[in-house]
Amino acid sequence: MTTLECNYSKKLGLPGFSSHQFSITLRTEIADVSQVQPESARLYKLLQEGVDTSITETGYLPTASGNGNGNGHGRNGVSTANHDRTHDNGNWGCSEKQKSLIQKIVAENSLNKSEVEALAQERFGAGVKNLNKLQASGLIEELLEKTGQSKAKGRSRFQSRFQQKAGAR
Amino acid sequence: MIAVIDPVQVQAAAPPVTKPNPIEALKQTVSASRLNCWLACRLKFFFRYVKKVSKSPTPALHVGTVVHAILQAWNMARWKKQPFRVEQFKGLFDKGWTEQAEQIDWEDGESAHKDTAWSLLETYFAKTPIPANEVPEAVEVPLEADLSRYGLPTLIGVLDLVRAGGRIVDFKTAGKTPNADDAIRQHEVQLSSYSVLYRESTGKAETGRELHHLVKTKTPKLVITQSGPMNEIQRVRLMKMIESYAEGLAREDFVPSSGFQCAGCEFAQECRRWC
Repeated sequence: MTTLECNYSKKLGLPGFSSHQFSITLRTEIADVSQVQPESARLYKLLQEGVDTSITETGYLPTASGNGNGNGHGRNGVSTANHDRTHDNGNWGCSEKQKSLIQKIVAENSLNKSEVEALAQERFGAGVKNLNKLQASGLIEELLEKTGQSKAKGRSRFQSRFQQKAGAR
Repeated sequence: MIAVIDPVQVQAAAPPVTKPNPIEALKQTVSASRLNCWLACRLKFFFRYVKKVSKSPTPALHVGTVVHAILQAWNMARWKKQPFRVEQFKGLFDKGWTEQAEQIDWEDGESAHKDTAWSLLETYFAKTPIPANEVPEAVEVPLEADLSRYGLPTLIGVLDLVRAGGRIVDFKTAGKTPNADDAIRQHEVQLSSYSVLYRESTGKAETGRELHHLVKTKTPKLVITQSGPMNEIQRVRLMKMIESYAEGLAREDFVPSSGFQCAGCEFAQECRRWC
């Protein structure tokens, strides 16, 4: 038995410097290699039709008229609004990943939660849950330093933190 | 499309050793330094980030790293409202200098570089426009901005300093006095990246950007270049550059960009062998 794995992917540019993409992957088995060509041709057509049918639905598009009121999505790319804060994140102002990391550091090092809260208040004038992503990142740096989990500060620690998931800087 | 080998045959063979593909990892995130490298020369990017050809740090890089580290400590001390004691920073400087120093080819002598580096810091401490009692908004903070909704990789970066009120500061060491217009243009990718990161992280626009150049002239000097918040054109340009990066990586397009920047490139030997 031979396995055929087919993937069809398409990315389209859209107005306002946006784009969207869609891909379908299909895995099937064929009895012998002589069927590779006809079967792959059939699957290519099938997958292409599947992608083309779906990709016409563009969904949300950024406005093409610039910043508007200055508090929404810009024309090309990044919003000036902290849209992630609207995510359901248990009322935390930072990202889910930051929230998990703060909780992990506190739990693993048996840190006193009220001391961490006091540190956030002192450094940022806000409680831990109300920190935005910039402030939460600063708090994480501080907690890592406090718990001796990093020899280096900032840049090199950042590198190691992100290299784990994304390779070199 | 991949025709996978019959699993019966695979069972007889040794399990395949799968090495992580660095290109796949690089497609997930992008930083200003990576993007700058990509835009300058894709083959240089290939050697540095895909093949990970390691090179010894240069004296200039070492000076920059140590100066950055001390300025970071200085900013942190202000944040923690600790008193300024120059001897404390000199101690940190001496300690930081020795790290990695033995790997460097000093050419014209290590002590001259070390003296220069400390002079730069002394000049900065004396002439900085930042008041001693100004509390930073952030110091050496790693940030990321998820751009997946635009089909782009996550932007990552470390902001040297965010001054009170949202002014983003980046420290530079330079051999020559920078011209203000050129400096803003040369560092556009970095400044725009930091603006995007700041906006994504705080939900508000920065009030301005500043380049603090510590210049290694005979008498060291400090040159501050001010820039307003990122404008729409700069933002679009950055997004287009990131898109070019993502698409080029996907194509594995690593052709060299020959030009004046080749002089002094650390990958000159590897480059000559490329075809």
